[in-house]
Amino acid sequence: METSALPSAQPTERCNSCYKDVSAEDAFCQNCGYPLKGTAQEQSNFRVQKDFRDIDHFEFNAEVRKAANSLYYLSAIFVISGLIVYVTNKDSEDAVVTLILNLVLAMIFLALGGYARKKPLACIISGLALYAIVVVLNAIIDPVTIIKGLIMKIIIVGFLIKGLKAALEIEKMKKENQLL
Amino acid sequence: MLRDGPPTKACVQCGHLIDVSGKYCNNCGARQIVGENRTLESNWLLLKQSALFYGIYIFVCAMGKFVDVFNTLSWELFMDGVLCATAVVFFCFNWNTNKKLFRWPNFSIQKLAAYLAVAVAGAFVVHYLVGWLNIAIFSKDEHYFSFAKGHLLASFIVVFYMAVVPAIFEEIGFRGYLLGNLLEIADVRQAVFVSAFLFGIIHLSLFSLFWLIPFALIIGYARIREGTLWYGICFHFCFNLMACLFELL
Repeated sequence: METSALPSAQPTERCNSCYKDVSAEDAFCQNCGYPLKGTAQEQSNFRVQKDFRDIDHFEFNAEVRKAANSLYYLSAIFVISGLIVYVTNKDSEDAVVTLILNLVLAMIFLALGGYARKKPLACIISGLALYAIVVVLNAIIDPVTIIKGLIMKIIIVGFLIKGLKAALEIEKMKKENQLL
Repeated sequence: MLRDGPPTKACVQCGHLIDVSGKYCNNCGARQIVGENRTLESNWLLLKQSALFYGIYIFVCAMGKFVDVFNTLSWELFMDGVLCATAVVFFCFNWNTNKKLFRWPNFSIQKLAAYLAVAVAGAFVVHYLVGWLNIAIFSKDEHYFSFAKGHLLASFIVVFYMAVVPAIFEEIGFRGYLLGNLLEIADVRQAVFVSAFLFGIIHLSLFSLFWLIPFALIIGYARIREGTLWYGICFHFCFNLMACLFELL
């Protein structure tokens, strides 16, 4: 294979933007695209755009954090409502089963919330789907539950959907940076 | 053959030879994006499409399981028909990209046997664990197909209905359509996890999650590794068949 076109790969300096090794012949950094031999104007443009990307990333992460908090909040709701149902219907045969169901759901939401920072898209989609199923099942068993805490439900789903969009952006950035 | 220097690739824009791991060309500065560059809108659209698919599944499954009116055999058949049709319609929506999943490249009898062996072993473990769990938690032992016991024809119908149909259509829906969509927007691990989790919770049984999710993860990875749905379909069929046999025998 012909490799003579490749510059001798002895790193002599570092990129001013990402601090990875670059060779003297490079016009652009191979890691971040910084114009090593560009004019001062080009270099400052590159920095501004990178700052914008960083700000975007920061904002998307904030949205994801809110969605993760919604998942924690759901977890707490399931613990509390499970306990309430258990205490009020102690004598019923289903009381223990309902309590266990609620606690398992709470644990799943807790785990999804905890993992949402690392794998935002997966955790938020999973959380939304699980919550949708719980809402639909509750509605089928007792239609009144749709209206119960409706505003809270809308707020939670709103945060989750906003988080989902942010997670999509983060995922797209990751794919573009090939950090897979 | 002698090679000096690291492996190289040609820049997508100027053709200059650059390091194979380089993200940007060191000659022209062009970003070296692998694969197609999707826009955020198209990703969001894919996600909404998947949500519609999954919403139909949730609705039909929940109705079928928890509304007494639909608790007859004919309604159940109808519901399953709706689910199968949903899977097929969504799968065929992107037929040109999805059809390659029906190919079976590098068919290997050893691989198939290995997958089937795992399925059989898994079915054994799950059967005894589920029996134990049901008895431990609910103090009851359920048998769904007791009506078919001893009747050969009824047994065949149960096997067809419980093993053949879900194996084909759930694979088309979840590993074919849904996983394919998720792979477009997320990395492999997240996509496989989400498809497995959604597959697990659609069965509407919280206590089955502990084996449904690993089951779906195995099939999801098999689909990615082999690039075909067939290993998954065979795995799924074998697993369900074993479950049926446990109930019928």
